Amino acid sequence: MLVAVLLIAAMGLINLYSATYAGGASSTTVFIRQLFFFLAGLSCIMIIHLFDYRLLLTWNYILYGIVVCLLLASLLLGGSIAGTQRWINLGFFRLQPSEPAKLMLVISLASYYYRKDTGRGFTIGQLLIPMALTGVFFILVLMQPDLGTAMMFAGIFISMTLFVKLKWSTIGIIFGGCSAVIPIGWQFFLKPYQKQRIMTFLSPESDPTNSGYHIMQSKIAVGSGLKFGKGYLKGTQGHLHFLPERHTDFAFSVWAEEWGFAGSLFFLAVYFFMILWGLNVCLASRDKFGVLLAFGIVSLIFWQAIINLLMVMGFLPVVGIPLPLFSYGGSSLLTTLIGIGLLMNIRMRRNQVRKN
Amino acid sequence: MQSPKETLTKLRKVDTGELNQLKKRTDAATLVIIFFIAVILARLWFLQIHYGSKYKDKADNNRVRMLDVVASRGNVLDRDGRTIITNRPSFNIVWVKEDSPDPDEIIKKLSRILNEEIAVLLKRVREAADNPRHIPILLQEDIDWKTLVYIENNHYDLPGVRIEVLPRRDYLYEDFGSHMIGYLGQINMKELEEKNSANYQGGDQIGKRGFEKLYEDELRGEKGTMYMEVDAHGFEQRQLKGKETLPGNDLQLTIDMDLQLEAEKAMAGKAGAVVAMDVKSGRLLVFASAPPLHLEDFVGGISTKNWQALLENIKRPLVHKTIQGQYPPGSTYKIVTALAGLSKGVITPNTVFYCSGSMKFGNRRYGCWKEGGHGPVSLHRALAESCDVYFYQVGLKVEVDSLAEYANRMGLGHKTGIDFEYEKSGLIPTAAWKKLAKGVSWQDGETLSIAIGQGFNLVTPLQVCQMTVALANGGILYKPFLIERIIDSEGQVAKEFEPVVDVELVGMEKYLKLIREGLVGAVNDRHGTGKEAQLKDVTVAGKTGTAQVVSMKKFQETDEEDVAYKHKDHAWFTSFAPAENPEIAVTVLVEHGGHGGSAAAPIAKKILARYFAKKTELETNKAKENQNVLQ
Repeated sequence: MLVAVLLIAAMGLINLYSATYAGGASSTTVFIRQLFFFLAGLSCIMIIHLFDYRLLLTWNYILYGIVVCLLLASLLLGGSIAGTQRWINLGFFRLQPSEPAKLMLVISLASYYYRKDTGRGFTIGQLLIPMALTGVFFILVLMQPDLGTAMMFAGIFISMTLFVKLKWSTIGIIFGGCSAVIPIGWQFFLKPYQKQRIMTFLSPESDPTNSGYHIMQSKIAVGSGLKFGKGYLKGTQGHLHFLPERHTDFAFSVWAEEWGFAGSLFFLAVYFFMILWGLNVCLASRDKFGVLLAFGIVSLIFWQAIINLLMVMGFLPVVGIPLPLFSYGGSSLLTTLIGIGLLMNIRMRRNQVRKN
Repeated sequence: MQSPKETLTKLRKVDTGELNQLKKRTDAATLVIIFFIAVILARLWFLQIHYGSKYKDKADNNRVRMLDVVASRGNVLDRDGRTIITNRPSFNIVWVKEDSPDPDEIIKKLSRILNEEIAVLLKRVREAADNPRHIPILLQEDIDWKTLVYIENNHYDLPGVRIEVLPRRDYLYEDFGSHMIGYLGQINMKELEEKNSANYQGGDQIGKRGFEKLYEDELRGEKGTMYMEVDAHGFEQRQLKGKETLPGNDLQLTIDMDLQLEAEKAMAGKAGAVVAMDVKSGRLLVFASAPPLHLEDFVGGISTKNWQALLENIKRPLVHKTIQGQYPPGSTYKIVTALAGLSKGVITPNTVFYCSGSMKFGNRRYGCWKEGGHGPVSLHRALAESCDVYFYQVGLKVEVDSLAEYANRMGLGHKTGIDFEYEKSGLIPTAAWKKLAKGVSWQDGETLSIAIGQGFNLVTPLQVCQMTVALANGGILYKPFLIERIIDSEGQVAKEFEPVVDVELVGMEKYLKLIREGLVGAVNDRHGTGKEAQLKDVTVAGKTGTAQVVSMKKFQETDEEDVAYKHKDHAWFTSFAPAENPEIAVTVLVEHGGHGGSAAAPIAKKILARYFAKKTELETNKAKENQNVLQ
């Protein structure tokens, strides 16, 4: 397991080097930073190993509260980049609280569903608190504004809620509610550029130099990789700055361009091996909390990966979701590694319950 | 709150029932995951394998921009090889909007740097909205050195903004020869179709008038190609191998710059034409039309305002009066009448008519310009003092069709065939013509008007000059030409132009000699009408003419100054020199100038004076050189 993780992270670093190759002086800094966070993450995994994941149950609300504070802080105090309030400058690194928030939501939902599980399925009333938990994060992040991550929270909520047993009535109400909320949200809550993103997703070719530009360029980068890629460090789309955000959102485009179909196949194989392994931890776990937690973490990684890949391939509008472990981003890397640490933790302790 | 230990022990186990459900759910999740993996892989296949080459092409297109490099246009030189028109670099500010992350900021910055209002810049951006996106928007042309340096130094602050270097026509002598030279403009659809579109694209400059148009193919040269690797900000990374440009060929004109400048200076503020031709070859030394066009106005496209002004100017700057202006020849036509009379034998050099100041014919009185009359007049005096009555008599005897015949022989009434655009043929009426054109028969009285160059007669200044040349050289009508040779970019002569004889008149030498003597008298005799053209060291011969615009009767009572410009007569003077062995012929027409003797003759004098001064200078220098060599 660890092998897969290391492999992915290594590929990520290699790719990052290429992606930032032409960037000048700052590029090595970026590379070194990512390396640093990777090592930090590994240390976190080691630390986590010392604890039982079930401690999270007790710490749950405290941790939740801390994350909420961090999110508020980023809104009120945080530096602004391109008009978004997503960061808190902690001096040595900029923390993006929405990342740990994702993991936090998984933990909180897992705790809640575990505690309140009656075995007969949840009623809609019982879903109110999870919705509230999700909602708080959702709104705080939406105000940054970060539609992509906000939707991520909704996604986690949906995944995990569907995973637990629900009464049919609940399901019906949820569907009804969604169909009502979406048009209202479109009209009143989405910013113009967010609407625009969704529109150009439907046909990026119609506006190649503005919002559909990123997607067009990504497709060109990926497609031009052909079978075996252009070669390491030789990706022209990335290096000549045609591909924007090539070390973050579009990191995979760079990989695909340089390593081609063969290289991409290999990468995806390793990545999904990791995900399926995570899903296996679900089954291996002998207590409900572990199951839920594992599932939540896996879906977190899975959905982010899928959304990012679909975006890179031109199936989705640009939403700013990174590819976990691969895209550049200290907060994301740390959070994901911690999540993986937890998975390993769960798996490791699966036999402990029996003993007790 | 339970203790941690208690929590751990009290953890509910997963029972088998729940476990099965869990398994089902997990299996479902696995399926979902596998589904998405499949989608991703399929898409990847689609992009990289199936359509891979298409994307590869797009990637290549992305990174290498093919740029046309405009060739240096050929220069225009005068007969002595002096450069009249050349090119200089023009630095333009262009903007590729899509390369700028913050367009509004760029516009603000540029507004300051270029010292141009934001509204003006935005207008240019709006106007370019219909162009394909990759074509940069032109924001300001021909920026000065300081601005250029500033922008180059700060170009990382201005992503998307580029300097474009284009050659620009440099008019070294301002409006010199503006009608001949012509101007450039953007190529339009029709022109694109006519020309071989492999060499031309939308946005190219093409000659629209004058030599720029007639010799477009010679002047243009060949475009080169430059392959530039760029990044997505449009910043040029490196230049890949391309194709060199081929500079255009130079045009060397027959025009003498000094004489042309003299003519244009003399015609400043006036409307009309000056033509000077080499008597022995048909080379044009002066080919001027007034008022001139301000050629700088046309660079980059003339503004609507300026174009309207040109159209509305009563002096008609857009008309090339040397060949497009058609005027009654006035008394210059008497050369034809005299020739017709002599050739037909109705007069001899000694035939005398009496001029009392007017002549009665039919029920009308036809006046001579000299109220008191000239008294008894023979050919010499008739020409020298431009007696109308004498020529009425000749005209009557010869009749209109003969007049037309000799007029045509002398080159009037049809195009000279000069290699230039828009030449008009003028009009020499015959009885048949009148029947056809007006539906009425010819009246003999009209012949009188024709005989003195009024009435239906229409000629162009070039025709008059050609006629004068034929008179001066004994009957050879040369085809007038403007280009001496075409020189390629390496200095080799690509094409040489030789004089072409259009018609050689035979059997008229005696008569032409007599007419020449009359014209000598016009300038040098005491009462000659062309006295103002007299030169001290050279014998000038010439003929004045005053073409009526409105019938004299109307304004008989009025003082000349009070007559409105547009009703004033046109002033003609045509000349050649030296009379004994003519070299140059000069014809001047001043629209609404009044009398030929007072308005046109002095201008011809200036040009002749300059010509001979130059000649003397050249001979003096040569003599000096020879002396030095001998010593």
